Amino acid sequence: MITLECASLKGFLDCASLAVSKGRVCAVLTETEFEKDLLLRIFTGLTRLDSGRIFLFGKEMSSLSSGELNGYRKRIGIVLNNGGLISNLKVRENIMLPLSYHSSSHYDADEKMTTILDKIGYDDDVAALPGPLPAYQKRLAGFARAVLMEPDLVIYDSVFDGLSPDIRGKVLETITAFHHEKEGRASLFLDMDEGLLNYIRADDIYILKKGKFYERN
Amino acid sequence: MRIKRITDNILDTMFYLSGLFNLILNAFKNLPSLRITPVRTVFFRQIYFAGIETLGKMVIIGLLIGIVIISQITSLVGVGRGELIGKILVWVVIRELGPLFAAIVVIARSVTAISAELGSMNVQGEIASIEMMGIDPERYLIMPRITALTLSAVMLTFYFELAAILGGITVTSIFWGIPFEQHTTGMLTSLTIAELSASLVKSLLFGVVIAAVSCSQGLKVSGSITRIPQATTKATMQSLFFVFIFDGIITLIFFL
Repeated sequence: MITLECASLKGFLDCASLAVSKGRVCAVLTETEFEKDLLLRIFTGLTRLDSGRIFLFGKEMSSLSSGELNGYRKRIGIVLNNGGLISNLKVRENIMLPLSYHSSSHYDADEKMTTILDKIGYDDDVAALPGPLPAYQKRLAGFARAVLMEPDLVIYDSVFDGLSPDIRGKVLETITAFHHEKEGRASLFLDMDEGLLNYIRADDIYILKKGKFYERN
Repeated sequence: MRIKRITDNILDTMFYLSGLFNLILNAFKNLPSLRITPVRTVFFRQIYFAGIETLGKMVIIGLLIGIVIISQITSLVGVGRGELIGKILVWVVIRELGPLFAAIVVIARSVTAISAELGSMNVQGEIASIEMMGIDPERYLIMPRITALTLSAVMLTFYFELAAILGGITVTSIFWGIPFEQHTTGMLTSLTIAELSASLVKSLLFGVVIAAVSCSQGLKVSGSITRIPQATTKATMQSLFFVFIFDGIITLIFFL
C-alpha cells in the first residue's frame, strides 16, 4: 500500500526502503519526534523526497497530480497524536469533516460516529469546540474521524501515548476489530516508544536509524 | 551589493504578487466547490462575520458620513442649490467614499481575523492535517474566504452608499428645508452607468485583493505563534496600500 524505494531526503533518509503491504500490521520506530513527523509527511505526500521513489496504492507519488493525490489520501486514515482537530470546528464537525467533504451520501454517519465514540470511550460533548479537551480525548475524536472514512490504510501516530490502561484497552480493541473488519486493510503504527510492541501484534517492524530502515523480527 | 539588494527586493515583490494572483485565480477556478457542504459552511460563516454582522455599523457610518458631506456641501454652495448638492453627493459617495469606506471597514474587521486564524491553523499543523485528509486547503479554506469577503465588500458598499445618500438628503430636507425632489433630480441626472460600474468594480476588486492578501499572509506564518501579530499587521498595511492604489487606477480609468 505504501512502498519506499531507496528514498533519500537530506539529513533524514539515506536510500531507505520500506513496504507496508495489504492486510499487514506494520510498526515503524523512530528515534525522534521530528523523524516520526517527517515520515508521516512523506507518506502523505506533504514532503517530497530528494531522490528515490514512493508508491501509494501502487502508483508512484511523483506522477500524481494534486487532485489524484487527494483521491489517494482519502483512502488513508490518519490518527494524529494531537488529534489534528480544527480548532474552530466543533468536535462533531471535525469528525464528520472528511466524510462530508468527500461524499454526499452519509445518511448513517451520525449513528456510526456515536457507535465508534462509545466503543473507544470518548465521553466529552461532541457539540463543544475541541480546544479545552484533554489531549487523549482529541486523539480519540481524531481516531473516530479517521475510521469513519473506512480507509484501506490507517496510520497511527503514537496512538497509545499517555492513555490510561482502561482507555488503551478499549482503543486497542477497536483498532484490532477495525483492522479485521475489511479484508486487506493495513495498519501502520509510527512511534518512538518500543513499548508500542507490547500492545500490538505487528507483522513487520522497522526501526529507523541513521537514515535507513532496519527490519526486526 | 546595493544593486543586488534592489534586484532581490524587486524579485521578491514580483514573486509575492504572482502568488497573490495565483491565489485569486485558483479561488475562481474552485468556485464549483461551493456545492460541497463543508466548503459552503465556511463560506456562509464568512459572509455572516464579514458582511452581515458589520451591516448595522456600516449603515450608521454611512448615515453620519452622508450628513457630514451634505452639511459641508450646503455650506459651500448655498441652500438654494439642491440639484448641485445631489450631484456632488453622487460623485463623492458613489464614486469614491462608498467603496473606500466599505474596504476600510472590511480591512478593520476581517483582515486581522482571517490572517490570524489561518496563521494559527498553520502553526498548529491544522492545515497539514486538512491536507492529509485529502482536502485541498485552497478549496476548503481560501476560496470561500475570498468569495465571501468580495461579496461582503460589494454588499457593504451598497448599504453604505444608500445610507449616506438617504441620510444626507433627509438632513438637508429637515434642517435646510431643501425639497427632496431637488436632490433626486440632481442625483438622477448625474447617476450614470459609469458611476455605478466604477463603484461596483472598485468594491469587487477591493474585496478580492483584501481577502487574497489576508489569506496569503496567514498562510505564510510558520514556526511560532509569535509571528501571527506580525502577519496581521503586514496584511492590514498591505491591504490598505493595495486599496488606495487600485482606487486611484480605477478612478483614472473611468473618469479621466
